[in-house]
This record gives sequence, C-alpha cells and structure tokens, in this order.
Amino acid sequence: MNSKSLKILSLGLIMSILLVVSSLPTGDSLPTGIVDDNQVANGCSCHGADPNTGVTINLSNLPERYNSSQTYTLTLNISGGPDALVDGNQGGFFIQANYGTLVSIDNNTWMPEDETHLTHNEEGNNYREWTFNWIAPESDTKVVKFTVYGNSVNGMDGNIGDSWNKGVFSSAGVNAKIEAEEHGELSMPQKLIYAFTVLAVTLSVVVVGNRMVVNDQSFEDVIKSYWKSVYPWLTTTDHKYIGTLYICTGFGFFFIGGILGLLIRWQLFEPRVDGDFLTYEEYNSTFTMHGTTMIFLAAMPIIFGFANYLIPLQIGARDLAFPRLNALSYWLLPTGGFVVYMGYFTGGAGDVGWTGYTPYASGDSSTTPGTDFWVAGQIMLGASSTLTAINFLTTMLRMRAPGVTMMRMPLFSWSIFVTVFLLLLSIPVFTVALILLMADRTFGTLYFDIDAGGDPILWQHLFWYFGHPEVYIVILPAFGVLSEIISTFSRRPIFGYTSMVYAMATIGVISFIVYGHHMFTTGADPLFRFIVMLTTMLVAVPTGIKIFNWLATMTGGSIVLKTPMIFALGTVITFTIGGITGIILASIPVDIALHDGYFVVAHFHYVLVGGTIFAFVGGVYYWYPKMTGKMMNEKLGLLHFALSFIFFNAAFYPMHNVGIEGMPRRYATYDAEFAELNEFITITAFIFGFAQLIFVYNVFYSYKNGEEAGDNPWDGWSLEWATASPPPHNSFTEIPTLKLAEEEDK
Amino acid sequence: MSLPKDLIFFENPTIWNDFGGDYGGFGGVVWQMFIWSLIVGLLVAVWMIYNLIYFRHADGDPDHKDALKAGVFPHERGNPKIEIAWTIAPLILVSWLTLISLGPLDYMWDVDGQEADITIEVEASQWWWDFGTPICNEEKENPQEWCSTGIYQKPAEFDQCETSKARGCLEIPHGAVIHFRLTSIDVLHAFNFPELGIKQDVVPNLDTLTWLDTKEFNAGHYSIWCAEYCGRDHAIMDADIFITEIA
Repeated sequence: MNSKSLKILSLGLIMSILLVVSSLPTGDSLPTGIVDDNQVANGCSCHGADPNTGVTINLSNLPERYNSSQTYTLTLNISGGPDALVDGNQGGFFIQANYGTLVSIDNNTWMPEDETHLTHNEEGNNYREWTFNWIAPESDTKVVKFTVYGNSVNGMDGNIGDSWNKGVFSSAGVNAKIEAEEHGELSMPQKLIYAFTVLAVTLSVVVVGNRMVVNDQSFEDVIKSYWKSVYPWLTTTDHKYIGTLYICTGFGFFFIGGILGLLIRWQLFEPRVDGDFLTYEEYNSTFTMHGTTMIFLAAMPIIFGFANYLIPLQIGARDLAFPRLNALSYWLLPTGGFVVYMGYFTGGAGDVGWTGYTPYASGDSSTTPGTDFWVAGQIMLGASSTLTAINFLTTMLRMRAPGVTMMRMPLFSWSIFVTVFLLLLSIPVFTVALILLMADRTFGTLYFDIDAGGDPILWQHLFWYFGHPEVYIVILPAFGVLSEIISTFSRRPIFGYTSMVYAMATIGVISFIVYGHHMFTTGADPLFRFIVMLTTMLVAVPTGIKIFNWLATMTGGSIVLKTPMIFALGTVITFTIGGITGIILASIPVDIALHDGYFVVAHFHYVLVGGTIFAFVGGVYYWYPKMTGKMMNEKLGLLHFALSFIFFNAAFYPMHNVGIEGMPRRYATYDAEFAELNEFITITAFIFGFAQLIFVYNVFYSYKNGEEAGDNPWDGWSLEWATASPPPHNSFTEIPTLKLAEEEDK
Repeated sequence: MSLPKDLIFFENPTIWNDFGGDYGGFGGVVWQMFIWSLIVGLLVAVWMIYNLIYFRHADGDPDHKDALKAGVFPHERGNPKIEIAWTIAPLILVSWLTLISLGPLDYMWDVDGQEADITIEVEASQWWWDFGTPICNEEKENPQEWCSTGIYQKPAEFDQCETSKARGCLEIPHGAVIHFRLTSIDVLHAFNFPELGIKQDVVPNLDTLTWLDTKEFNAGHYSIWCAEYCGRDHAIMDADIFITEIA
C-alpha cells in the first residue's frame, strides 16, 4: 500500500471513528482515559495543540505476520517528553485496531462502553507502559492497523508541559498480500542534487551526440578524444595544472556551498513551521554542509590553488619539492568532498554544524550515517592539508632561486609560509579529534561519552585549538594577495615590508592562544577566559598595522584603478568592518550577549566573504592574465564588483542588527519580530548570489575573447611576472635571479 | 519599527544600560565599542578616499624612481616612527577596551556577591526546559512572603504558565535575586535570556550557574531560547518566563 492511499485511508478511518463516536454517549474527564470524540479524532489536544515528535511510542510483541484468531499480548510504552514527578501521574494512551479485538487484562486499562479502543484509567495514569491482549481476526489475509496516541505528562496539575504523539503500527495476516511500500518524498537538497545530475547527464549526452553527428565520429572516437584532453589533468604532477585543478574545484564547491546558503536564506525568508520549505532536520544538514563546504572545500582549495600556481613562480622554482605528493594532496580533496556529501544519498547529510560539538555529534540523535560520512570525509581533507603543508614548507625553505632570501620573498609567499606553519601545527589536532569521534561513532569507544565520564567540553578545546588558527589560515593568504595587488596598482613598493612580515608572523603565533574566545559561555575557568580575551584583543594590533601599511602604500603612490585594485580596496573596507566586530566580540560581557547569534554570523561572513573570498576574486582578476595569457573583461569586472559589494553589504550588514536584537544562529525558524529584516537579507542575498554568475561568465568569455596580456600586464615586480604568460612547461626556461633595486640603480 | 530605521539603528536593549554595576554598566561598554568602531572605521574609509582623490595615476605620469620592475626586489619603503605609532595606538585602544570590559564582567561573575532569594534547578533535554520547584534561601534575612515558611509557596496569583505553549515555563516573583543551577541530561544547550544578554551553556555532567535580579525588569513576559545547537528542534526549544509582581 503506498503512503498516499495510506494517508487517505487513515484520514477516512479517523473520520469514520469520529462519526461513530459522536453518536455515542461520551465522558470527558481525563483520569478515565480518552473517551471524548474530539480526543479520539485529534489526539490528546488538551495536553497541547499539536503532537510532539520528542515523544516516542513503541508497541512491542506485535507480530509482523499474525495467525488467525490467535491471542497476542502486546506492550505499549512511551518515552521522551517531560520528566514526571515521582508521585504524580506519568502518562496516558489510546489504542485502536481496525480488525480483531483488543482486551484489557489488568486494572490499568479499560475499554469504554460501546467502544472498540482501549485507554488508560485512573490507575493506568501512573505508568508509561501498559499491557493488554489483542485477539487477531479470523481472516488471515487482512492488514491490521493500530492507531495509537501516547501522552507523556509531567504529573503537575493541569495539562501544561505535557506532550503527546501519535503512532501507527501494522500487522499483516500470514496470507495477506503486502504491496511494496513506496519511497518517501525526496527532500529539497536531494531534489536539487538529482536535478543537477539529470542536467549534467543530459548536457553530456547532447555534447557527445552533437560531436558524433557533426564530425561523423563513432562514440568510441569521441570518448577517446575527450580522454586525451582529460588524461593529462588526471595524471599531472605539474604545479600549474594542480593549482588550476585546486582553484576550479574550490570555486565549484563555492558554487554548491552558495546554493546551500541560498537554501538557508529561503528557509529564513519568513518564520516557517517544520517542513514548510525544509524540515528542521534538513535545515540543520544544510547549514552544516554550507559551513563545511565553504571552509574546507571552497576557501582552502582556492587558497592552495593559488599557492600551488604561484609559489614556485614567485620564489623561482620549477615545481614544488614533492610533485607526486602534491598530486595526492589534490586528489584527496574531491574524494573527501564526495564522502562528506555522501550523506545526501543515504537519508540526510551530517547535521552537527561545521563545529561538530560533542556529545551531540557523538550521540545517537545526529543523522546516521550522514554524520559518519561527514567525519570520514573531513579526515581525508585533513590528511590532504597536512601533506600540502609539508610540501610547501620544504619547497619554500629549500628551493628559492638565487637572490630570493627569506626577507625578499613576495608578501603572498610570506603569507603562505606563515599559513602552512599554522596548518602543520593545527590540522593534525583536528584530525586526531575526528578519529576519536569516528571511533566513538563507529567502534563504540567512549572518548566523548558523558555517561562513561567523558569530558563534555574536551571536543571544544580540541576543535578550537585547530579552529581558530584555521580562520587565520584562510585570512592570512588574503592579506598576501591584498599586499601584492595594492602595491602593484599603487606603482610603489609596499610600505613597511618588514613590519608586514612581522605582523603576519605575530598573527600566526597569537592565533594559537586565542581559541578560548569561542568558549566564553561554556563555564570554563574565568582566568582562562580573561587571558584569551586579552590575546584576542591583541590580534587587532598586527592586523591594524597591515591595514595602515596598505593605506600608506597608496599615499604618495600613483593609483591605477583596475578591477583587481577595486576588489582589493573593497576588501579593505569589508575586512575592516569584520575586524572591528571581531574586537567587539572579544569583550567577554558583549560576547556573552551576542555569542551564537546573528552578530557572530555577520562578523565571520564579513571576514570570510568580505575578506578571503573578495581578496581571492581580486586575485583571479590579477593573476588570470598570467595563467591564461588573456586579460579579463574590465566592464564585466566592474559590474561584478559593484553588484557584489553593494549586495554583500546589504545582505550581511543587517545581520548585525538582527543579532543585537537577539536572534540565535542555527535557527530553522524564528520569532516574528525578526521577520522584516530577514526578508530583506534573503532578497539581497539572492541578488548577491546571482551577481556571481557575471564572474563565471567573464572567466569563460575572456578565455575566448580577452586581449593578449603579455608577460607583465600590471607592472608587478615579483618573479612570476618575469616569465611568459602562461608560464612555459617548466615554469622558467632558466632559473632566474632576483635582483636588488639598489644594485640596479648603480 | 520600519525597515530603514531597523537598518540604521542598533536596537540596544535599554535594560543593558542599567545592567552591569558601577563601571558604566554593560550598556556603556557596548556604547564605547560602537563609538570606537565608528572612529576606526571612518579613519580607514576617509584615508582611503583621500588617497583615491589625491594619488590617482594620470596618463603620461612619469615613472617614479621607486616604480616596480619585474624581477627586481624594490626599494624598501617605510618610516619606523610612523609604524611604531600605529602599533602603539591600537595597543592602547584595545587595552582600554579590555579594561572597561572588566566592570560588567565582575558584576556578571560575582555570584557570591548576589545572595540568592531563591534557587531554581533547570534541567535541559532535547528539546525541553524543565524547571524545578524554587528553593528558598534560608540564610537570607527578611524572607519574602513566598518564602516565609522557609519552603517555597507558590503565590496564588501565579497562573500564567497555565496558558503557556512553550517547551517550558516558569513564573517568578518581581524583586528577587534568582540563581539558576543549570544542567543537561543529554547534549549541550545554552540558557539564553536575550533581553538581558545572559547566556550560559548548559553542559551535561557540569553544573553551571547563572543569576538574574528581577528588580532590573518590568513585570511581564520574557522568553528563554536555546542558543547552543542541540539537534532537530533547536529552533523551537523555548521557555516562557513570567515575572509577576506580588501585590
């Protein structure tokens, strides 16, 4: 029987019960159980308007297949709901079967006169478990349906705080025919994934088919010619190819994460009830995957794509120190990403938030196996990052060209150098934590089990010890990009090169002693909290130095306003706002008020989108000519910037307001007082999302139609501008030597 | 409030101003944070606009002697005095902000200084707030009417919870210092009182505590929300708090 006809049948059943019952004399007092016709139809509505899914109803000893006329002793119990007073009432129930006869066998249950259902009596109120007999019908070809209401009460006077739920159970006769049950409806994200899969398959059939017809080739020939162009990408160990793969994968996941973000916004367009657009569970999966995707599968791959492409060029090396290891690092990324997303095909992706706090993440109530996939995939991503860190450290320490001393490396290289140090010291901690979590979830260990004495906030210490350096891992390279762009387009050397380097190193060191500011409300030691407040405030100092140095670089320069520069300047503005709100959040009393609210959401989107993503989009405009030999279209670039900047701020700035008014984050629905601002945010967020399509179009359009770039289109100084665009196979035909301006002057 | 007004003004809950003891209060810290944010933000924006007006490249500008050249490490530019100045200035600013944060913090964490009139045990579970019967503080002098016998007597006029549809409900008297002892039986939750900016994680196997002085409030209806992600019904795990004046 499919679920739709089941629904209609059950509706009809309830309606007919209502009809039958309404013609009979009824009582209404509670201790006598459910005898009122309204209660029969609508459940225990006087204990709350709607059923509560926190209450679980269980009907045990019910055979899957019954024999005709046999008597079965069934046990009904309810769990969940409020805890009851010891000496008060515990609960009540109602059960009805559409075939066979229910028989009371003790003093806790009774069948009202002229009725066919069983319910509790006054004595039965003191239990949450009841036992009774069911005599199966004579015919063994029926499918019997049991409709059950279970009410979990708190034992206090009145019905407040009680909660109830409905359950439906069935038992089929040994000779009954059972139709295979149809699958439930697809969830929204599943629909999207299937839609994209269908689209991709259709598109590839069209493209391949077109080629077969136009070139009159056989299917095999077409596939072979594609294989020829794909094969080098699959087997490459060249840093430029791998860099491009990283960047494309990163932006691909950015697109997917962006769609998830828009799903979140659509859910929050208005206060919705469960399942109105996404169910609460789907919403929780959506923000989990959005966060995980954006940090681990979008931001970090984009960064390491640029690092892969540019570091060997900037330090004058032919490739990274371990090219094959580099390929392994890359291929772990899409694999890990795929595993993280596996949850969508197995009934719900991980729903533990990108932070995965235990004991929720280690317990049973998180999605299974979605969360297991989330953990497993992240372990792969952790391995990928660790290997990358080792690779870059070795390369930068051992393979610099003559003249490129440490203090003469371009600032982007320096930012990557500090970043990989942070990676090497922090990612393994997270990976270990994930392995412990995986052991807890899969092999039954008890690291995070509260009942076994596990520390309830151990995970938070491990996670944030990694998690805070992680946010500097994604912002420091953005600083590097900004330094390059601002210096080049001001046509002057960067102001205070040395202090820029020290500022980044200082941020790197401090990043390990600030993580506790994520835990101000956990009840950690006050001294610990005070120290991290102080160190968090101190981050403002080196960050301030960097911002002031950029501005000082422009002062006295000769500023050329091209798309990369405009993006860089926009980034300075949005990042400054994000930095300032970071200082506001560092103050413990303010943080306690704003923690886990939309102010925090606004803060980290300003830093991660307004900082990292804007800077690297600027980086694409800046290095695209080097990578492809073609200039990107300026007009499209300016349009992209204008729309992005305006609608980014329009979407994320109001989140500060919503946060101060008190809206907590990770809420699938919210109080009506926040509705107006949320509506505004959703609309502007959608425009911001769609504006990014201009960028995608520009990348492809310029690849075909862009002007020839030449070796050094922007007049930069670092070594990547000294080689051809795009760089030759081994990057440099001859290892270059970095000269010194002082010596050149002579 | 209209949308434009909502966008321009931060609605700093007025109660924040009164809350937080002698150092200017919590509202004062928030106010100072915003003033300094504005100053720093404007400084950056104005300086950038100034640069863009006065230092734009025009066609035909001759190359500066410092101009960049591919493959050549440029001249070092810098001015140690200025750089030290903008290292010291933010240092002083953040030290000041740390200092003023300590006032409301002392007040917030000074649980011993705020002797409880009643203590309430709060048990959080997925996705419920369960409030125990209030426990009177026997050591405190001048026990209030509802604690006159040393055992909490629910005042007769307390009936607002009868109509509550939230996942928990509590009615407490106006003018009392109340300690909440928080614990969870399953996962992390957070006891969040948005009007007062109180937030305390509710952690299994760890007894956390928060307190509030209902004198600070007008009598009426307030909400408790769960602020630490706890699973499916996280968004609707709310509790009603009624602060009722005893006549």
